[in-house]
Amino acid sequence: MSRRNAWKLVLPLAVLALGTTLLATSALGASGGVVRVAVMTDCKGAFGGAYEVGAAGANIALAQFAGGKVKNKKKPSAGITGAKAGGKNIQVVGYGCGDDTPATILKETRRLMQQAKADVMVGPLSGDEAVAVANWAKARPTKTVIIGTAGSQDPTLQIAPKNVFRYHGDGAQWNAGIGEIVYKKLGWRKAAIIMDDYSFGWTSGAGIIADFCAIGGEITKRVFPPLNTTDYSSYVRQLPPPGQVDGYFWVVGGTGTGPALKAFEQAYGTIKPTQHSGNLFLWFLTGFQDVAPRLIGSYVGGFGTAPGLKGKAVNQYHAFAKKTYPSLTNANFDDGFLYNYYQGTKALVDGLNKSGGAVGVRLQNALPRTLSAPFNISNGGNVKLDSNRQAIQDQWPVQIVKGPNGPTVTLTGYVPNVDQSFGGLFTKSSPAPGRTQPPCVKKTLPWQGKIREVKNGAVTNTVIK
Amino acid sequence: MSVYARKSAVERVIGVAVLVFVLFAPQLVSGFWMDTVLTQTFILGIGAASLVFLSAYGGMISLAQAGLMGIAGYALGNMVSERVEGGETKGLLLGWDPTLSVVLAILLTVGIGILFGAVASRSFGIYFLMLTLTYSVIGFLFVSQVTQVGGFSPIAGIDRYTPGFMGDVVNDRQRLYYVSLLVAIVVYVLIRYLVRTPFGIALEGIRDEPTRMASLGFNVTLHRTVAFAIGSLIAALGGVLFAWWSGQLSPSDIGLSATIQLLVIAVIGGLTRIEGAWLGAFAYIWISNEVTNRIPEDGLWVVGGTFNTVIGLAFLAIVIASPDGLMGLWDRIWNGLRSRGGPGEPAVAAGSAGSQA
Repeated sequence: MSRRNAWKLVLPLAVLALGTTLLATSALGASGGVVRVAVMTDCKGAFGGAYEVGAAGANIALAQFAGGKVKNKKKPSAGITGAKAGGKNIQVVGYGCGDDTPATILKETRRLMQQAKADVMVGPLSGDEAVAVANWAKARPTKTVIIGTAGSQDPTLQIAPKNVFRYHGDGAQWNAGIGEIVYKKLGWRKAAIIMDDYSFGWTSGAGIIADFCAIGGEITKRVFPPLNTTDYSSYVRQLPPPGQVDGYFWVVGGTGTGPALKAFEQAYGTIKPTQHSGNLFLWFLTGFQDVAPRLIGSYVGGFGTAPGLKGKAVNQYHAFAKKTYPSLTNANFDDGFLYNYYQGTKALVDGLNKSGGAVGVRLQNALPRTLSAPFNISNGGNVKLDSNRQAIQDQWPVQIVKGPNGPTVTLTGYVPNVDQSFGGLFTKSSPAPGRTQPPCVKKTLPWQGKIREVKNGAVTNTVIK
Repeated sequence: MSVYARKSAVERVIGVAVLVFVLFAPQLVSGFWMDTVLTQTFILGIGAASLVFLSAYGGMISLAQAGLMGIAGYALGNMVSERVEGGETKGLLLGWDPTLSVVLAILLTVGIGILFGAVASRSFGIYFLMLTLTYSVIGFLFVSQVTQVGGFSPIAGIDRYTPGFMGDVVNDRQRLYYVSLLVAIVVYVLIRYLVRTPFGIALEGIRDEPTRMASLGFNVTLHRTVAFAIGSLIAALGGVLFAWWSGQLSPSDIGLSATIQLLVIAVIGGLTRIEGAWLGAFAYIWISNEVTNRIPEDGLWVVGGTFNTVIGLAFLAIVIASPDGLMGLWDRIWNGLRSRGGPGEPAVAAGSAGSQA
């Protein structure tokens, strides 16, 4: 080999040498006496922007309830030190990085839960990821999973392993009340729904369908554009024209919300706010600024939080969160992507305190079945878990209104004690939400006729009629 | 002893040493290493071997192999999983016998492989590459858009329905380790055997001189189609093992990222020697795992700050320095020794894979 070409040998050998050094040190194992926690969120994909927000939610709870000190006030994923519960140190072994695909979340789950030997996971973030993690957890009963902020129904209803907990509502629960509101306030009787063709879209849509049909509405058409569709014109054309239905429910998220609404306008003319409703995707108004002004007045499903709710518990939460991460705002703290991680981690700290720092089945038995929550009014301000370890939680439909910097949302309704089963419509043996599930049936829901109006951030005694 | 003979002897010694190590590895390494690094190395190595086989001996760089692995896994998942309370929620949930399902999944994949191969084998070079990429995209779109067979959610619980000889792969990961190792060895021996048969030699001839082989009376298209079918069989074996190993499959296991992953594994290992498939798989899995673990808390200094950047840089370094991957690097070292050994020694040209295998 000539000297000129020697680098071709030396360079890869150097890479190999470096690799071998790392290999030799990679056997370093876990140290004892600590509770190892993995925070799993997304740093890539459609929800990649929520990475630091999710990490912040978990860290705020560890700082507030376990005495932790965040390492970097501007970068939550830099970690936290000094957190203790049940007499043991809490070590966050990593902030996992999903990309909203099951394959990546499983890879990250194996890395953090098996290689880094985490005892507990707070996460993941999105619906299909939670389905994957719940299936993974089912075979590993000593590992504990507290779902971060994923909204698919399956993980805590059809799959429902005993080691998976969710302290927030699923996507269907978040939409409780919205069907009744448009039925009563806008007089909708017939509606069409367009929803993303994946587990969160189905679950979220299922909540709307169940709520609207339960009160007496009829869903005449369900349209399912694939996730990541860019041209919605053919799907929008499958919707009945405005003359044939009273309104449309939109469950199209991510970068699709704007193009889908625009495609509708191209097909059927300017959007009228009284004819359009939907799920939390319509909250993300910055994603479709050009269409959003025409939705001012529309009623939209919630996210399990109550932005703008006035109360001592909310103020305390906001104040501590602001002290921990000054660069974040109340809008961040009221965002389910942050708050649900906060709530889940708070439950973890409570559970560890009760189990004396024990993990595994003892922790699972000790995790709280009721948990005080700033955005819960019923049950003395406590979220309750059902027998599947799924939250029964108040829900907060919103209305799109004019704000100082463009459209924003304001609380419009308070739906008490929303459970995952929707009064028995969804059961362990019922098929998971899908293209035809649930069917449109009239039935009595526990919260039917009990939705109260919210004015200026306060729940009134006026029941929506 | 010539340098070439010495090299063969050294390779045999290394091969036996590796074999002895992997036989006893479950007793020597942690459960994570056994399951996530080594078992996955065997399985992805099998998938990459199907690609290397087609490339090294047939001159066909196929981008359909990850798709074919996924088809086998998805077929198995849809056939075995069943609707029970607390059970799986996605797919057809047919609840068929696991042994029958494994056979049917492999047969289905080979059947699709023959169909794909019959069309693609008439094209060469970049056109073959593009056609096989199309197959992968078709597979991805099919499983993600036809929600009855999966959809975006994972089709799960495949590891809970295994044939009797596999036992409980959920809790007994060692058995899956040894079965994967056994299948990897069988695939390796099968390919080594095949390339020494008249079919294999004709395939190499077609790789180098298709026109001349056609004029000699060989049916070029048929040979390439049969090779593609064999590649599909190998990929199907890898796909079934991957489904058991992972327990669940989603479209991203069959899509573009999976295709690129298998290609990167094959290129890192070396597209000209079959051993490179497993070497590349080990390097890829180990690098991606270690780098992800070692990203500093305040981010990485390199552009992008994620492990993909580091894997990309390592990939670039290997490919620039040794276009034939790690196996090519090995050959290069021996070539260097040969040139120091003076004239008269036979050259070991990287790329003449058939003569070395």
